[in-house]
Amino acid sequence: MRSGPGSSTTPLHLVPDDERSDDERSIARIAAGDADALGELYDRYGRVVFGVVLRIVDSPEAAEEVAQDVFHAVWRRADTYRRERGSLKGWLLSISRNAAIDWRRTKGRHVATEETTDGAELIADMDVAESAVVNARAEGVRLAVAALPPETRQALALAYWMGLSQSEIAAKTGVPLGTVKSRIRSAMQRLRARLGDEEERW
Amino acid sequence: MTHPTDELAAYSIGALEEREAEIVAAHVRTCEECRAEVEAYQETAWRLAEAVAGEPPSRMRAAVVERARAARPVRGRTVLSGWAELFRRPIPAFVPAALVLALVVSLAAYAGSRRDADRFAAAVAGVASGRVVSLAPSAELAQARGVLVQPPNGAPYLILDIPAAPPGKTWEAWVIRGEQPIAAGLSDGSGVAILTLTIPLRSGDVVAITLERAGGTGLPTSNPVLTGKST
Repeated sequence: MRSGPGSSTTPLHLVPDDERSDDERSIARIAAGDADALGELYDRYGRVVFGVVLRIVDSPEAAEEVAQDVFHAVWRRADTYRRERGSLKGWLLSISRNAAIDWRRTKGRHVATEETTDGAELIADMDVAESAVVNARAEGVRLAVAALPPETRQALALAYWMGLSQSEIAAKTGVPLGTVKSRIRSAMQRLRARLGDEEERW
Repeated sequence: MTHPTDELAAYSIGALEEREAEIVAAHVRTCEECRAEVEAYQETAWRLAEAVAGEPPSRMRAAVVERARAARPVRGRTVLSGWAELFRRPIPAFVPAALVLALVVSLAAYAGSRRDADRFAAAVAGVASGRVVSLAPSAELAQARGVLVQPPNGAPYLILDIPAAPPGKTWEAWVIRGEQPIAAGLSDGSGVAILTLTIPLRSGDVVAITLERAGGTGLPTSNPVLTGKST
């Protein structure tokens, strides 16, 4: 078993500095109370956090408020981040999605959307954002998502953008739980394979 | 231990039930192989997120940093800031069905062995007819479980599965209305316990459990181990 930053037994602050990733260095500084490090994290990920939150809450004003709350949650909870539970980006994304979904459930005006939207649309027509130049990468994601079978895409969208658990998706769509599980798994495996390939060609 | 390979994709996007997710999380903490899988799926999830990235208002960066500076110090928080924080913590607005079911089943099993079996039976019945909200555990006591039941008639109560309170201490329930915590009942914990709230709930009230000195206190002195919001 290798040791170092990947080892489950090594607390982050004991990992030698040159073995840490930028993310790990940032979160360690944030946990130590360095607000500039939070600003740097914002520079790296603010656009993604804001975009995800906006997609879920569907209001620029609310997205601004919720995205700020996300970074404040990072500030307050940085000392609870554990490398061995997953990547910092994964952690940040789950805080962002949870905060936005929570906002939507409690304050969203479009409660009805959840009932009426075909989840598939939510992800299939991801805008290839305004600045098309930057967005060959985003286009790749959009195509990969569009290539999923519709029912697989819908299951993924309900989980990813609506925050539903697999059982909730089964209850909502009337599809057996086992089928929902295999669709979610298949969606993530296909995207991972396809987007991973692209990464290598990049 | 067998690897929860089939669950890792769903785990990575938060689509597992709370209980399942805890089991996978415990495994991933100690299994590098599965952790690498989770990170690969998290990377895929991140790619989806990147594809919707958008330009936030330019004032946001300064707002984020200023708010962080104003909230210092992060460490050695006072109890008061712990309470302020309670109001910002996302509180689940829906009930993970598996959690409620698991609690009710253990409650039913527990009831058979107790003298106050009738009371337990009534509590189980209330779950079927009342509104049920799960309470979120804090990171410090992640194994704590609790649900708030608001029956159509009668007093609201909590079903708790928390460790026994240490000697000289008790678990105390609070109803937080606006920013004001109101003492709402005591329990010594140990196994599955029912705690009937001593005050009626209004919609939007937050319910929380803290550890206090035996006999209870007028104001909470420790951070909550469970919190939830009444509907």
